[in-house]
Amino acid sequence: MRDAAAFERAVGGAQHDAPRSTGRLRRSERRAGMLFVVPAVVLYALLLALPIVQTFYYSLTRWNGIKSTFIGLDNYERLFTDPTFWRVVTNNVILLAAIPFAILIPLAVAFLLNEHVLGWRFFRSSYFLPTAISWVVIGIVAVRFFAQRGILNSLLTTLGIPIQTDMLASEWTAMLAVAITFIWSVFGTNTIIFITGMATLDRDVYEAARVDGAGGFSTFRYITVPLLMRFIQFAFILTLITGFTALFSLIFVMTTGGPGFGTTTLEFYVYQTAFAQGEFGYAAAVGVVLFVIVFGISLIQLRLFRDRSE
Amino acid sequence: MARAGRRIKRFTVFAILCVVVVVMLFPFAYMIATSFRSYDQFLTGQGFSLDSWQGLFEQLPVVQQLLNSAIVTISAVALILFTSTTAGYAFAKLRFPVSPLLFVAILAGMMIPVQSIIIPEFVNVANAGLINQYPGPILVYAALGIPFGTYLMTTYFRGVPSELIEASLMDGASYRQIFTGVMVPLAIPAIVTVAVLQFIQIWGDLLIGLLFLNQPDVRTITVGLATLQSARIIPVPMIMAGSILSALPAVIVYLFFQRQLIAGLTMGMGK
Repeated sequence: MRDAAAFERAVGGAQHDAPRSTGRLRRSERRAGMLFVVPAVVLYALLLALPIVQTFYYSLTRWNGIKSTFIGLDNYERLFTDPTFWRVVTNNVILLAAIPFAILIPLAVAFLLNEHVLGWRFFRSSYFLPTAISWVVIGIVAVRFFAQRGILNSLLTTLGIPIQTDMLASEWTAMLAVAITFIWSVFGTNTIIFITGMATLDRDVYEAARVDGAGGFSTFRYITVPLLMRFIQFAFILTLITGFTALFSLIFVMTTGGPGFGTTTLEFYVYQTAFAQGEFGYAAAVGVVLFVIVFGISLIQLRLFRDRSE
Repeated sequence: MARAGRRIKRFTVFAILCVVVVVMLFPFAYMIATSFRSYDQFLTGQGFSLDSWQGLFEQLPVVQQLLNSAIVTISAVALILFTSTTAGYAFAKLRFPVSPLLFVAILAGMMIPVQSIIIPEFVNVANAGLINQYPGPILVYAALGIPFGTYLMTTYFRGVPSELIEASLMDGASYRQIFTGVMVPLAIPAIVTVAVLQFIQIWGDLLIGLLFLNQPDVRTITVGLATLQSARIIPVPMIMAGSILSALPAVIVYLFFQRQLIAGLTMGMGK
């Protein structure tokens, strides 16, 4: 039935009455377009757009999950004068400080991988493997690594180094342990990004550099890095967003945010204030701060990419 | 002279890469080795035993949890594929009102951190009576995957020549027939990429599962594992066996679809 109608539309249009029929075609195209986006738009509207608007509203209320009272900007006032909030922001800053390592190590390794020595495909697959592993599993092994009777300490003993650590037991070292695990986890992803980038570079440039007598390091420093700037920026933003929004599971498993607030980042703080303390309004305000940071970073990224392509 | 120098250089590179492999694969070797020890053997650091694996299956509802993970993950991925291919086709190939605006709005969804919407999301899903019901987390995961999926599919469909669609229209095909008969078969590589990326992400997720499936019998394996770990009452070797079991499906998907995974990752960069 539908086929017949479409046939008539198409054939009839072509033969008899072109203008009117293209109008009709355009109309059916419009209808099809709107129908095809409906499923995505409905889910998006109900489960992403609506909740973000609600978060903004809830951040202006005092709300324990049952009773909510509008209190204006009080939550934000409280937030910005709360030492705990600033302690939590400090942890995000520490993650930020970890990013150069999460970029430079993969960059150097990708440069070496690009030499295509024996077994490089195997190396590449091995480096990328953690990408398929849940943060929960990574966190569980990380706990075994950093624990008092864990791998790190037995490694130190084996090497004859008379130091014993208990990194997860105090605030700053626990955050360091989380940051190290974070760097380890994103290593594979960033290496792949840089490998892909290097594959786009012209081999002749390297030949020219070699002819001019450039050594390995200066080739890396003056040719590879500048030519890969776009990829480095992309990896930087991706790593930053991962660090700020994807470490919940890792922190949950490794430290549950402790000791104290030693490893509580903004995203974890939202969870704690909302679901452990039941302060939904206050937690929503933290959620808004996180949203503004991540949205801002993403906009900068879009800006950077547009500037490059122009 | 120069030849020998080059050889030494290549060997050094090889050696460094080997060290990196040890650093990256050691945790997996440790997990496997530890899981094949009983608790006593774990304390002494030697021996081989299947006790921990046996204990895992006997004492914990891991089979049920694997099943829960499979139901939730596969349904959510299917929903993401359906919504993002239809939307991608419409955004790339059909002209309709407010299309560019809707497209930008959906893409902006990629910039929303889950934690920023988790509170109202939880309240809404609870009000709908879907806490501890599979459809609750399935819908939430699907919504979270839609922006990226739609972006990727739209980009892909834009590369398909419009002449193909026009020719089919001339042959009398409807837009729906063109979608199922022409567009979807052409888009298989992109569809696989979205499926693999989303599968790995949803399979390994903790937050949504933790909040929306909080009863032991509906929990996913990842959530079950995380709560076991944080309770710290289960012996280490058994936790390691559980970790391997929970990671296995995603690792298998990874081994089969490594190329698509890499393609999807770098596709995030656009052109």
